Amino acid sequence: MKTARTALLLVLIAALAAGACVGLGVYNVAATDQHTEAVYWLLKASMRQSVRVRARDVRVPDLTDAAQIDRGRALYQAHCVRCHGAPGVAPESFALGLRPVPSNLAHSAREWSAAELYWTIKFGLKMTAMPAWEYRLPEAELWAIVAYLQRMPEESPQQYAMQVRDVQRFAVASNAADSPSVRPGDAARGRKAIQQYACTTCHRIPGETGVRASVGPPLDGMGRRGFIAGLLPNTPENMARWLQSPQEVHPGSAMPNLGVTARDARDMAAYLHTLE
Amino acid sequence: MPNMTQVIKAALSTAAALTLTACGPEHGSSREGNAARGRELLDRYGCNACHRISGVRDAVGTVGPPLDDIGSHVYIAGTIPNSAPNLARWIQTPQAYKPGTAMPNLNVTDADARDMAAYLAGLR
Repeated sequence: MKTARTALLLVLIAALAAGACVGLGVYNVAATDQHTEAVYWLLKASMRQSVRVRARDVRVPDLTDAAQIDRGRALYQAHCVRCHGAPGVAPESFALGLRPVPSNLAHSAREWSAAELYWTIKFGLKMTAMPAWEYRLPEAELWAIVAYLQRMPEESPQQYAMQVRDVQRFAVASNAADSPSVRPGDAARGRKAIQQYACTTCHRIPGETGVRASVGPPLDGMGRRGFIAGLLPNTPENMARWLQSPQEVHPGSAMPNLGVTARDARDMAAYLHTLE
Repeated sequence: MPNMTQVIKAALSTAAALTLTACGPEHGSSREGNAARGRELLDRYGCNACHRISGVRDAVGTVGPPLDDIGSHVYIAGTIPNSAPNLARWIQTPQAYKPGTAMPNLNVTDADARDMAAYLAGLR
Protein backbone atom coordinates (compact mmCIF):
# COMPACT_ATOMS: atom_id res chain seq x y z
CA MET A 1 0.00 0.00 0.00
CA LYS A 2 2.74 2.37 1.04
CA THR A 3 4.87 1.48 -2.02
CA ALA A 4 1.90 2.06 -4.28
CA ARG A 5 1.38 5.51 -2.82
CA THR A 6 5.07 6.37 -3.17
CA ALA A 7 5.03 5.17 -6.78
CA LEU A 8 1.97 7.26 -7.55
CA LEU A 9 3.62 10.31 -5.97
CA LEU A 10 6.77 9.77 -8.04
CA VAL A 11 4.73 9.46 -11.24
CA LEU A 12 2.90 12.66 -10.37
CA ILE A 13 6.15 14.52 -9.71
CA ALA A 14 7.61 13.24 -12.99
CA ALA A 15 4.51 14.34 -14.90
CA LEU A 16 4.67 17.78 -13.28
CA ALA A 17 8.36 18.11 -14.06
CA ALA A 18 7.75 17.09 -17.69
CA GLY A 19 4.89 19.58 -17.92
CA ALA A 20 7.08 22.33 -16.50
CA CYS A 21 9.84 21.50 -19.00
CA VAL A 22 7.42 21.94 -21.89
CA GLY A 23 5.60 24.94 -20.46
CA LEU A 24 8.71 26.88 -19.51
CA GLY A 25 10.56 26.08 -22.73
CA VAL A 26 13.43 24.60 -20.75
CA TYR A 27 14.87 22.43 -23.51
CA ASN A 28 16.95 24.31 -26.04
CA VAL A 29 15.97 23.25 -29.57
CA ALA A 30 18.67 25.36 -31.24
CA ALA A 31 20.72 23.30 -33.68
CA THR A 32 23.82 25.08 -32.43
CA ASP A 33 23.31 23.40 -29.10
CA GLN A 34 24.04 19.67 -29.14
CA HIS A 35 21.82 17.41 -27.07
CA THR A 36 23.16 16.40 -23.72
CA GLU A 37 24.89 13.03 -23.70
CA ALA A 38 21.91 11.37 -22.02
CA VAL A 39 19.30 12.77 -24.40
CA TYR A 40 21.49 11.99 -27.38
CA TRP A 41 21.93 8.42 -26.25
CA LEU A 42 18.22 8.00 -25.66
CA LEU A 43 17.27 9.39 -29.08
CA LYS A 44 19.93 7.45 -30.89
CA ALA A 45 19.15 4.15 -29.15
CA SER A 46 15.42 4.61 -29.84
CA MET A 47 16.07 5.36 -33.49
CA ARG A 48 18.51 2.48 -33.89
CA GLN A 49 16.21 -0.02 -32.26
CA SER A 50 13.20 1.23 -34.19
CA VAL A 51 15.02 0.66 -37.48
CA ARG A 52 16.32 -2.74 -36.38
CA VAL A 53 12.86 -3.99 -35.48
CA ARG A 54 11.23 -2.71 -38.66
CA ALA A 55 13.96 -3.86 -41.03
CA ARG A 56 13.71 -7.43 -39.80
CA ASP A 57 11.33 -8.56 -42.51
CA VAL A 58 13.07 -6.81 -45.40
CA ARG A 59 14.23 -9.29 -48.00
CA VAL A 60 17.60 -8.34 -49.40
CA PRO A 61 18.28 -9.05 -53.08
CA ASP A 62 21.71 -9.78 -54.53
CA LEU A 63 23.78 -6.61 -54.24
CA THR A 64 27.08 -7.69 -55.76
CA ASP A 65 26.47 -6.76 -59.38
CA ALA A 66 29.11 -4.25 -60.48
CA ALA A 67 26.75 -2.34 -62.77
CA GLN A 68 24.27 -1.97 -59.93
CA ILE A 69 27.01 -0.64 -57.66
CA ASP A 70 28.04 1.91 -60.30
CA ARG A 71 24.47 2.99 -60.71
CA GLY A 72 24.18 3.32 -56.94
CA ARG A 73 27.28 5.50 -56.86
CA ALA A 74 25.79 7.82 -59.47
CA LEU A 75 22.56 8.02 -57.52
CA TYR A 76 24.51 8.66 -54.34
CA GLN A 77 26.36 11.46 -56.08
CA ALA A 78 23.05 12.94 -57.27
CA HIS A 79 21.00 12.65 -54.10
CA CYS A 80 23.08 11.93 -50.99
CA VAL A 81 26.47 13.58 -51.19
CA ARG A 82 25.30 17.10 -50.37
CA CYS A 83 24.34 16.07 -46.87
CA HIS A 84 26.42 12.98 -46.21
CA GLY A 85 29.60 13.73 -48.12
CA ALA A 86 31.57 10.87 -49.64
CA PRO A 87 35.09 9.48 -49.28
CA GLY A 88 37.22 12.61 -49.46
CA VAL A 89 34.22 14.85 -50.15
CA ALA A 90 32.80 17.11 -47.46
CA PRO A 91 29.08 17.63 -47.09
CA GLU A 92 27.91 21.06 -48.18
CA SER A 93 28.07 23.83 -45.63
CA PHE A 94 24.37 23.85 -44.76
CA ALA A 95 24.42 20.14 -43.98
CA LEU A 96 27.03 20.67 -41.31
CA GLY A 97 24.56 22.90 -39.53
CA LEU A 98 22.02 20.11 -39.16
CA ARG A 99 21.45 18.40 -35.83
CA PRO A 100 21.68 15.50 -35.85
CA VAL A 101 24.50 16.02 -38.30
CA PRO A 102 24.15 13.63 -41.26
CA SER A 103 26.12 10.45 -40.74
CA ASN A 104 29.28 9.54 -42.54
CA LEU A 105 27.91 6.61 -44.47
CA ALA A 106 31.19 4.81 -44.93
CA HIS A 107 30.93 4.39 -41.19
CA SER A 108 27.20 3.59 -41.15
CA ALA A 109 27.63 1.00 -43.88
CA ARG A 110 29.91 -0.95 -41.61
CA GLU A 111 27.54 -0.78 -38.67
CA TRP A 112 24.17 -1.20 -40.37
CA SER A 113 22.87 -4.20 -42.29
CA ALA A 114 21.75 -3.88 -45.92
CA ALA A 115 18.14 -4.30 -44.80
CA GLU A 116 18.51 -1.48 -42.27
CA LEU A 117 20.14 0.84 -44.81
CA TYR A 118 17.38 0.11 -47.28
CA TRP A 119 14.66 0.71 -44.71
CA THR A 120 16.20 4.00 -43.64
CA ILE A 121 16.61 5.28 -47.18
CA LYS A 122 13.12 4.24 -48.14
CA PHE A 123 11.22 5.51 -45.13
CA GLY A 124 13.49 8.25 -43.81
CA LEU A 125 13.92 9.23 -40.18
CA LYS A 126 11.49 11.56 -38.46
CA MET A 127 13.03 14.51 -36.61
CA THR A 128 16.27 14.17 -38.50
CA ALA A 129 16.81 15.73 -41.91
CA MET A 130 16.72 12.28 -43.52
CA PRO A 131 13.91 12.27 -46.05
CA ALA A 132 11.91 9.26 -47.16
CA TRP A 133 12.86 8.34 -50.72
CA GLU A 134 9.97 5.96 -51.20
CA TYR A 135 8.02 8.39 -53.31
CA ARG A 136 11.07 9.73 -55.08
CA LEU A 137 13.08 6.78 -56.27
CA PRO A 138 11.92 3.44 -57.63
CA GLU A 139 12.67 0.29 -55.71
CA ALA A 140 15.57 -0.78 -57.93
CA GLU A 141 17.33 2.53 -57.35
CA LEU A 142 16.90 2.30 -53.58
CA TRP A 143 18.64 -1.05 -53.70
CA ALA A 144 21.33 0.27 -56.03
CA ILE A 145 22.20 2.89 -53.41
CA VAL A 146 22.36 0.20 -50.73
CA ALA A 147 24.63 -1.85 -53.01
CA TYR A 148 26.93 1.13 -53.41
CA LEU A 149 26.89 1.95 -49.69
CA GLN A 150 28.08 -1.55 -48.90
CA ARG A 151 30.95 -0.96 -51.25
CA MET A 152 31.74 2.53 -50.02
CA PRO A 153 33.92 1.63 -47.00
CA GLU A 154 36.18 -0.30 -49.36
CA GLU A 155 36.80 2.61 -51.70
CA SER A 156 39.57 5.12 -51.14
CA PRO A 157 38.88 8.82 -51.70
CA GLN A 158 41.01 8.62 -54.84
CA GLN A 159 38.97 5.73 -56.16
CA TYR A 160 35.75 7.53 -55.41
CA ALA A 161 36.92 10.67 -57.21
CA MET A 162 37.96 8.64 -60.24
CA GLN A 163 34.73 6.66 -60.37
CA VAL A 164 32.56 9.73 -60.10
CA ARG A 165 34.49 11.50 -62.81
CA ASP A 166 33.93 8.58 -65.13
CA VAL A 167 30.27 8.19 -64.41
CA GLN A 168 27.85 9.76 -66.80
CA ARG A 169 25.43 11.60 -64.60
CA PHE A 170 22.28 9.50 -64.60
CA ALA A 171 19.17 11.24 -65.76
CA VAL A 172 17.07 10.32 -62.79
CA ALA A 173 13.59 10.34 -64.27
CA SER A 174 11.14 11.42 -61.64
CA ASN A 175 8.48 9.29 -63.28
CA ALA A 176 10.59 6.18 -63.05
CA ALA A 177 8.65 5.07 -59.98
CA ASP A 178 5.50 5.00 -62.00
CA SER A 179 3.64 1.80 -62.62
CA PRO A 180 3.05 1.20 -66.30
CA SER A 181 -0.57 0.11 -66.15
CA VAL A 182 -3.39 2.46 -65.27
CA ARG A 183 -5.30 1.27 -62.25
CA PRO A 184 -7.75 2.95 -59.91
CA GLY A 185 -6.25 5.24 -57.28
CA ASP A 186 -5.28 3.75 -53.95
CA ALA A 187 -6.65 6.15 -51.32
CA ALA A 188 -4.64 4.72 -48.43
CA ARG A 189 -1.41 5.09 -50.37
CA GLY A 190 -2.53 8.53 -51.50
CA ARG A 191 -2.88 9.67 -47.94
CA LYS A 192 0.73 8.74 -47.27
CA ALA A 193 1.77 10.44 -50.48
CA ILE A 194 0.06 13.64 -49.31
CA GLN A 195 2.44 13.75 -46.37
CA GLN A 196 5.35 12.90 -48.61
CA TYR A 197 4.71 15.74 -51.05
CA ALA A 198 4.43 18.05 -48.03
CA CYS A 199 0.93 19.21 -48.99
CA THR A 200 0.30 20.11 -45.35
CA THR A 201 2.92 22.84 -45.61
CA CYS A 202 0.25 24.88 -47.44
CA HIS A 203 -3.10 23.17 -46.93
CA ARG A 204 -5.11 22.19 -43.91
CA ILE A 205 -6.15 18.58 -44.42
CA PRO A 206 -8.34 16.88 -41.84
CA GLY A 207 -6.63 14.06 -39.99
CA GLU A 208 -3.11 15.13 -40.99
CA THR A 209 -0.72 16.27 -38.31
CA GLY A 210 1.25 19.22 -39.57
CA VAL A 211 1.66 22.98 -39.47
CA ARG A 212 -2.00 23.69 -40.32
CA ALA A 213 -1.02 26.52 -42.60
CA SER A 214 -3.46 28.28 -44.90
CA VAL A 215 -1.28 29.20 -47.83
CA GLY A 216 -3.79 27.48 -50.08
CA PRO A 217 -7.41 26.62 -49.36
CA PRO A 218 -8.31 24.04 -46.73
CA LEU A 219 -9.03 20.64 -48.23
CA ASP A 220 -11.68 19.46 -45.82
CA GLY A 221 -14.78 18.41 -47.69
CA MET A 222 -12.72 18.21 -50.89
CA GLY A 223 -14.74 15.21 -52.06
CA ARG A 224 -17.82 17.41 -52.29
CA ARG A 225 -16.14 20.55 -53.62
CA GLY A 226 -17.51 21.72 -56.96
CA PHE A 227 -14.33 22.96 -58.58
CA ILE A 228 -10.60 22.50 -58.35
CA ALA A 229 -8.74 25.82 -58.29
CA GLY A 230 -12.01 27.38 -59.42
CA LEU A 231 -11.30 26.10 -62.90
CA LEU A 232 -11.75 22.35 -63.24
CA PRO A 233 -14.90 20.42 -62.35
CA ASN A 234 -13.95 18.29 -59.37
CA THR A 235 -13.44 14.74 -60.58
CA PRO A 236 -10.65 12.39 -59.53
CA GLU A 237 -9.22 12.58 -63.07
CA ASN A 238 -9.13 16.37 -63.02
CA MET A 239 -7.68 16.35 -59.52
CA ALA A 240 -4.88 14.05 -60.65
CA ARG A 241 -4.22 16.38 -63.58
CA TRP A 242 -4.19 19.42 -61.30
CA LEU A 243 -1.83 17.75 -58.82
CA GLN A 244 0.60 16.90 -61.59
CA SER A 245 0.55 20.19 -63.45
CA PRO A 246 -1.07 23.04 -61.54
CA GLN A 247 0.91 25.61 -63.52
CA GLU A 248 -0.57 24.33 -66.73
CA VAL A 249 -4.13 24.55 -65.39
CA HIS A 250 -3.64 27.88 -63.67
CA PRO A 251 -0.52 29.71 -64.83
CA GLY A 252 0.83 31.85 -62.02
CA SER A 253 -0.75 29.79 -59.27
CA ALA A 254 1.10 29.72 -55.97
CA MET A 255 0.75 25.96 -56.19
CA PRO A 256 4.01 24.72 -57.68
CA ASN A 257 4.61 21.78 -59.98
CA LEU A 258 6.02 19.25 -57.54
CA GLY A 259 7.09 16.53 -59.92
CA VAL A 260 4.17 14.36 -58.83
CA THR A 261 4.16 11.03 -60.62
CA ALA A 262 0.98 9.89 -62.38
CA ARG A 263 0.57 7.08 -59.90
CA ASP A 264 0.97 9.31 -56.86
CA ALA A 265 -1.39 11.90 -58.34
CA ARG A 266 -4.03 9.24 -58.93
CA ASP A 267 -3.66 7.92 -55.40
CA MET A 268 -3.77 11.37 -53.80
CA ALA A 269 -6.83 12.25 -55.88
CA ALA A 270 -8.48 9.04 -54.68
CA TYR A 271 -7.80 10.01 -51.09
CA LEU A 272 -8.93 13.62 -51.47
CA HIS A 273 -12.13 12.35 -53.03
CA THR A 274 -12.94 10.51 -49.80
CA LEU A 275 -12.86 13.74 -47.75
CA GLU A 276 -16.46 14.56 -46.94
CA MET B 1 -14.32 66.62 -55.18
CA PRO B 2 -15.99 63.23 -55.64
CA ASN B 3 -17.25 62.64 -59.15
CA MET B 4 -20.82 61.86 -60.05
CA THR B 5 -20.39 58.08 -60.29
CA GLN B 6 -18.89 57.91 -56.84
CA VAL B 7 -21.70 59.98 -55.41
CA ILE B 8 -24.31 57.77 -57.02
CA LYS B 9 -22.53 54.65 -55.85
CA ALA B 10 -22.27 55.96 -52.33
CA ALA B 11 -25.93 56.94 -52.32
CA LEU B 12 -26.96 53.57 -53.64
CA SER B 13 -24.87 51.64 -51.16
CA THR B 14 -26.17 53.80 -48.31
CA ALA B 15 -29.68 53.02 -49.41
CA ALA B 16 -28.79 49.37 -49.60
CA ALA B 17 -27.26 49.49 -46.17
CA LEU B 18 -30.38 51.10 -44.75
CA THR B 19 -32.62 48.45 -46.24
CA LEU B 20 -30.30 45.66 -45.18
CA THR B 21 -29.49 46.54 -41.64
CA ALA B 22 -31.65 48.31 -39.16
CA CYS B 23 -28.68 49.18 -37.01
CA GLY B 24 -24.95 49.57 -37.48
CA PRO B 25 -22.78 52.62 -37.99
CA GLU B 26 -23.49 54.92 -40.83
CA HIS B 27 -21.81 53.90 -43.99
CA GLY B 28 -21.12 55.39 -47.35
CA SER B 29 -17.96 57.19 -48.18
CA SER B 30 -15.84 55.82 -45.33
CA ARG B 31 -12.73 54.05 -46.56
CA GLU B 32 -12.83 51.33 -43.95
CA GLY B 33 -15.24 48.58 -44.85
CA ASN B 34 -18.19 47.91 -42.62
CA ALA B 35 -17.82 44.28 -41.60
CA ALA B 36 -21.33 43.94 -40.12
CA ARG B 37 -22.87 45.16 -43.34
CA GLY B 38 -20.47 42.99 -45.33
CA ARG B 39 -21.75 39.96 -43.52
CA GLU B 40 -25.31 40.72 -44.64
CA LEU B 41 -24.13 41.38 -48.17
CA LEU B 42 -22.42 37.98 -48.37
CA ASP B 43 -25.90 36.53 -48.00
CA ARG B 44 -27.53 39.02 -50.35
CA TYR B 45 -25.09 38.47 -53.20
CA GLY B 46 -25.58 34.76 -52.80
CA CYS B 47 -21.97 34.01 -51.87
CA ASN B 48 -23.32 31.44 -49.46
CA ALA B 49 -24.63 29.37 -52.36
CA CYS B 50 -21.08 28.40 -53.27
CA HIS B 51 -18.99 29.02 -50.15
CA ARG B 52 -19.04 27.96 -46.54
CA ILE B 53 -18.56 31.17 -44.54
CA SER B 54 -18.75 31.18 -40.78
CA GLY B 55 -21.29 33.61 -39.40
CA VAL B 56 -23.16 34.00 -42.68
CA ARG B 57 -26.71 32.72 -43.08
CA ASP B 58 -27.07 29.43 -45.00
CA ALA B 59 -23.44 29.53 -46.05
CA VAL B 60 -22.97 25.82 -46.61
CA GLY B 61 -22.06 25.84 -50.31
CA THR B 62 -19.33 23.52 -51.50
CA VAL B 63 -18.81 24.76 -55.02
CA GLY B 64 -15.89 26.97 -54.08
CA PRO B 65 -13.46 26.69 -51.19
CA PRO B 66 -14.63 27.26 -47.62
CA LEU B 67 -13.96 30.81 -46.39
CA ASP B 68 -14.15 30.02 -42.68
CA ASP B 69 -10.69 31.44 -42.05
CA ILE B 70 -10.10 33.29 -45.29
CA GLY B 71 -8.56 36.18 -43.37
CA SER B 72 -5.58 34.01 -42.53
CA HIS B 73 -5.07 32.63 -46.04
CA VAL B 74 -1.89 33.73 -47.76
CA TYR B 75 -3.41 33.88 -51.26
CA ILE B 76 -6.76 34.61 -52.81
CA ALA B 77 -7.69 32.36 -55.73
CA GLY B 78 -4.30 30.72 -55.48
CA THR B 79 -2.35 33.69 -56.73
CA ILE B 80 -3.34 37.11 -55.31
CA PRO B 81 -1.66 38.10 -52.04
CA ASN B 82 -4.41 38.29 -49.48
CA SER B 83 -5.34 41.71 -48.11
CA ALA B 84 -8.69 43.41 -47.62
CA PRO B 85 -8.23 45.70 -50.66
CA ASN B 86 -7.18 42.76 -52.85
CA LEU B 87 -10.13 40.73 -51.60
CA ALA B 88 -12.44 43.59 -52.56
CA ARG B 89 -10.91 43.74 -56.05
CA TRP B 90 -11.21 40.00 -56.47
CA ILE B 91 -14.85 40.04 -55.38
CA GLN B 92 -15.60 42.71 -57.96
CA THR B 93 -13.70 41.30 -60.92
CA PRO B 94 -12.79 37.65 -60.46
CA GLN B 95 -12.88 37.04 -64.20
CA ALA B 96 -10.29 39.74 -64.77
CA TYR B 97 -7.86 38.08 -62.34
CA LYS B 98 -8.54 34.50 -63.32
CA PRO B 99 -10.27 34.11 -66.69
CA GLY B 100 -12.48 31.08 -66.72
CA THR B 101 -12.89 30.84 -62.97
CA ALA B 102 -16.18 29.40 -61.77
CA MET B 103 -16.59 32.57 -59.68
CA PRO B 104 -18.73 34.96 -61.71
CA ASN B 105 -18.59 38.73 -61.89
CA LEU B 106 -21.58 39.76 -59.79
CA ASN B 107 -21.59 43.50 -60.45
CA VAL B 108 -20.58 44.21 -56.89
CA THR B 109 -20.26 47.91 -56.10
CA ASP B 110 -17.05 49.35 -54.65
CA ALA B 111 -18.63 49.93 -51.27
CA ASP B 112 -20.21 46.51 -51.10
CA ALA B 113 -16.97 44.80 -52.08
CA ARG B 114 -15.13 46.78 -49.41
CA ASP B 115 -17.65 45.77 -46.76
CA MET B 116 -17.62 42.11 -47.70
CA ALA B 117 -13.82 42.16 -47.76
CA ALA B 118 -13.83 43.75 -44.32
CA TYR B 119 -15.95 40.92 -42.94
CA LEU B 120 -13.95 38.20 -44.67
CA ALA B 121 -10.60 39.66 -43.62
CA GLY B 122 -11.72 39.32 -40.02
CA LEU B 123 -12.33 35.58 -40.37
CA ARG B 124 -9.35 33.83 -38.87
